[in-house]
Amino acid sequence: MSITLDSRAPSGPIESKWDRYKADMKLVNPANKRKHTVIVVGTGLAGASASASLAEAGYQVKTFCIHDTPRRAHSIAAQGGINAAKNYMNDGDSVYRLFYDTVKGGDYRSREANVYRLAQVSTSIIDQSVAAGVPFAREYSGELANRSFGGTQVSRTFYARGQTGQQLLLGAYQAMMRQVDEKAVELRTRTEMLDLVVINGKARGIITRNLVTGQIERHMADAVVLATGGYGRVFYLSTNAFNSNVSAAWRAHKRGAYFGNPCFTQIHPTCIPVSGEDQSKLTLMSESLRNDGRVWVPKSAADAKKHPNELAEADRDYYLERRYPSFGNLVPRDVASRNAKYVCDEGRGVGSSGLAVYLDFKDAIKRLGDNVIREKYGNLFHMYHEITNEDPYQVPMRMYPAVHYTMGGLWVDYHLQSNIPGLFVLGEANFSDHGANRLGASALMQGLADGYFVIPFTMGNYLAGFKRDEATTESSEFKDAQASAQGRIDHMVALGKKGGKHTTQEIYRSLGKIMWDKVGMERDEAGLKQAISQIQALRQEFESGVKMQVPEDLGRSQALEVAMRVEDLLELGELMAKDALERKESCGGHFRAESQTEDGEAKRDDENFSHVSAWEYKGDVSKSVLHKESLTFEYVKPTQRSYK
Amino acid sequence: MKKEYVSSSVFKKFVMGATGLALLGFVITHLLGNLLLYKKDGTAFNDYANKLASLGGLLYAAEIGLLAFFLYHAFTGIRLALMAKEAKPIKYAVKKSKGGESKWGLASNNMIISGSALLLFVVLHVLHFKFGPGINEGYVTALSDGTEVRDLQRHVVEQFKNPLMVVLYVVAMLGLGLHLKHGIWSAFHSLGLTRENNSKTIYCAGGALAAILAVGFLLIPIYLYFFY
Amino acid sequence: MSAKKMTVHLKVWRQKNKNDAGHFEDYTVQDISDDMSFLEMLDRLNVNLQKAGKLEVEFESDCREGICGTCSCVINGQPHGPVTGAATCQLYMRQFKDGDTIVIEPWRAKAFPVIRDLVVDRSGLDRIITVGGYTGAKTGPHADANSILVPKENAEKAMDYAACIGCGACVAACPNGSASLFTSAKISHMSLLPQGHPLRQSRVTRMVNQMDKEGFGHCTNIGECQSACPKEIKIDSIAIMRREFFNAAIRS
Repeated sequence: MSITLDSRAPSGPIESKWDRYKADMKLVNPANKRKHTVIVVGTGLAGASASASLAEAGYQVKTFCIHDTPRRAHSIAAQGGINAAKNYMNDGDSVYRLFYDTVKGGDYRSREANVYRLAQVSTSIIDQSVAAGVPFAREYSGELANRSFGGTQVSRTFYARGQTGQQLLLGAYQAMMRQVDEKAVELRTRTEMLDLVVINGKARGIITRNLVTGQIERHMADAVVLATGGYGRVFYLSTNAFNSNVSAAWRAHKRGAYFGNPCFTQIHPTCIPVSGEDQSKLTLMSESLRNDGRVWVPKSAADAKKHPNELAEADRDYYLERRYPSFGNLVPRDVASRNAKYVCDEGRGVGSSGLAVYLDFKDAIKRLGDNVIREKYGNLFHMYHEITNEDPYQVPMRMYPAVHYTMGGLWVDYHLQSNIPGLFVLGEANFSDHGANRLGASALMQGLADGYFVIPFTMGNYLAGFKRDEATTESSEFKDAQASAQGRIDHMVALGKKGGKHTTQEIYRSLGKIMWDKVGMERDEAGLKQAISQIQALRQEFESGVKMQVPEDLGRSQALEVAMRVEDLLELGELMAKDALERKESCGGHFRAESQTEDGEAKRDDENFSHVSAWEYKGDVSKSVLHKESLTFEYVKPTQRSYK
Repeated sequence: MKKEYVSSSVFKKFVMGATGLALLGFVITHLLGNLLLYKKDGTAFNDYANKLASLGGLLYAAEIGLLAFFLYHAFTGIRLALMAKEAKPIKYAVKKSKGGESKWGLASNNMIISGSALLLFVVLHVLHFKFGPGINEGYVTALSDGTEVRDLQRHVVEQFKNPLMVVLYVVAMLGLGLHLKHGIWSAFHSLGLTRENNSKTIYCAGGALAAILAVGFLLIPIYLYFFY
Repeated sequence: MSAKKMTVHLKVWRQKNKNDAGHFEDYTVQDISDDMSFLEMLDRLNVNLQKAGKLEVEFESDCREGICGTCSCVINGQPHGPVTGAATCQLYMRQFKDGDTIVIEPWRAKAFPVIRDLVVDRSGLDRIITVGGYTGAKTGPHADANSILVPKENAEKAMDYAACIGCGACVAACPNGSASLFTSAKISHMSLLPQGHPLRQSRVTRMVNQMDKEGFGHCTNIGECQSACPKEIKIDSIAIMRREFFNAAIRS
């Protein structure tokens, strides 16, 4: 049975919703806060900031991280910056404009109330981060510097060289480590969440595996916060780190949490192209490069293999500038990515694979000088040179889109609580704020907004009404969950013993290829249906045995870890295809070939699809049930996006 | 000062740097004094040596101070070397510096060896010259005012007619040069006296001073052997 | 642009756990293309091992773009391999020649016990941060970010030191297993910003003491750390740490 989901957003004018929420929310008596334990899984921007904030608020926090140290979480790789409606540049920015841009950029598939709150707290994030010692770029006046980023027309992006994510993460990590020192946070590293424990309908704990010893443990709390990031690695090749996986969120999903908009993935237009079969990872080049670089391919497919410097101006097609005269090279990510695919499909792609377009700095170097370009992009150019062995000062960069971010995630309400009471989901792991497409420099903003400025309040509101029951870690729910986690590990070992044609890695790569080809930048009904059956077949192959050796002590083992994650990704992949099939419109990063304007732009169908798709697991992905949260737009009226 | 400061590795390195620089000061004056050996008639060196000896109590005080610095430097150095060994119990099967501005090399890697060698040398050297033969053994010379004093110059010159002795001293002074090549820069860095804009200068100047001192010292036995 | 094929011989450190003595094992990996990354070459080795029914070589990596600091390995005697200013994940096979023998060892230091093969426990670095690597500002709202101005030069220098990725190459490279570069980078970052000043003295005191307590060695000013650092952090930071420390000692 399909149900309609309630966002639980406060009523009233959008400007005052969050203030009203805070005024009306229930508070936990300070003396009682210490009696509440909260589990936080994940230590990226959202998880680390949530751990620090909740601990400072007075709760006992148990934080879990899959890495050897919390500082490695993938937030660290964000290069470009963080948006905030500070209007320091006096160029007409405001909370409303950031809200407007985010809703529009997300192609009207996000919840207005959440987005407005995000824009509102964005300014506090900058204040907080500066107080935490984040060395943002500054002007000679000593004031903070801003730049325009990723297609916005105001300069609202704060940055710390090309390492903004790193610096913000370290700020949050350090704040959390201070609470570790205060004994308010109990930190467990090299620990993976294997299952969520739900007792009497409430999230009450997790089952974990120690990635060094292999020990399986039960952890109990009054609430569980998941801040475990996105699932871009379902595509195998992506810009995401190896430990970025869906397992924690997927296990929560299998325990009843709805998965929102799984098909909404973001493809980043400027990544270093794939060079060979053994490639394990794609490297993103900051979008800021598009501020000065010009994107082009040869006009004629016959020229595609020629050296770029040999091609005369007249033989080059600056296709973004041609098709989108007002935004040019700065069109949103999905538009830039799709256009790169089109020109490559036409045979005009460059490089040995034919899957790349040029990003050329020749004109910028001529206009601004070598030094200015070096100062602005020196580290990126260096990185590109190291990877490709080509010098971008001399030869245009080659770029191709790659999966970068997933807007979808566990469904949450305005409180950032999933449909399971007591299970909160923050950051990229939830579906909430970016709709069908995320603007550049907004991921960092959302992670920190959720962790520093939202969860401390909504968690208090939840815990104030929380009544503890008799449950302990000896309760049957805990024992069952532990047994099922142990069962999975035994199952993996058995699969390895059985043996098979392929290694897990090879099966994983096949999954990625299916996802990229059929559930990637452009999707259509036939392809999606094919994808579903191919993924099912692949899952069957996996379940019938793989080439895998696991150490006898069942301790540290990459093979075992990867196998368990691949098992989850094989299910998620199918759900993504299913969701993409169900959403017969194009919006943002989700482009259905059947639904496009005459210009080849994404064409939304607001009448039928102005909703969040939230999937409920029913024992098998093929049986998953779709629930909807309808989206209404009171402030930003949906229009056909146009970047012409 | 509280224990948390004194017991730290940073403080131990401060001790090494501070005592090291004090010993460096001594080594510089020692060389200046030794240069008088180049005067063949011997009066200048003996005058100097005996003037020092005539300081009496003051000299003892200075010697005790010097000895204290020396022992403190040696003791802390040995302790630090043992700590370093403990912190890196297993060495790499292959080890190669990545170059750049690293000071990795013979001098920096063997401070404890050059230091221990110098410790041994200093003991021998003091026994050899300070407590070597004096007036009673017939090494007597007359100062310009006619008083009879120990003829240290003669003893020194005689000693360095022995080629083995020359080799021993030359090797020891090469060791001193090595120790100082890294030691001078290291002392400045340990004392927190280096800055981004002066650390290269300090390293180069330290190396130059080390070379000057080593060469200055080791030329004396060679000179005495061949040309005296 | 076309990739060249090559074969490499590996001598890889294998060690079951902390208490195992460990030993080198020899492997040959064929048909490697020179535009593969070093870690992709190890991935290939592991696929080969799995196919041969053997246990994989355990190593760590995460972002594979040189920012998370997870990857390690001393490659032919050099932490993160022969390229300077780069982490192991940024090392490409074009740095090697066909037929080369490559010796791969874990980070070695008493404070970094081996977990398995090339994986070591670097949590000591976390514990150094735990005792003071922060400004101490509470989470939540603060005065406007522009209410305290910071000279651009200081912000830039602070960023130079803040760029540390916590990989531990400095410890691995140091003949004494010292974590001075890591510790001083954070202290320098904080000392250059006004926001870092309130906790200045307790920070340096506690962090230096924790560094000693963890079993890291002391700094003998050789600077191997600086050369091995993938972010090219300068040992000038170690002088800053010492000044901060003496200053704190005098004021205590």
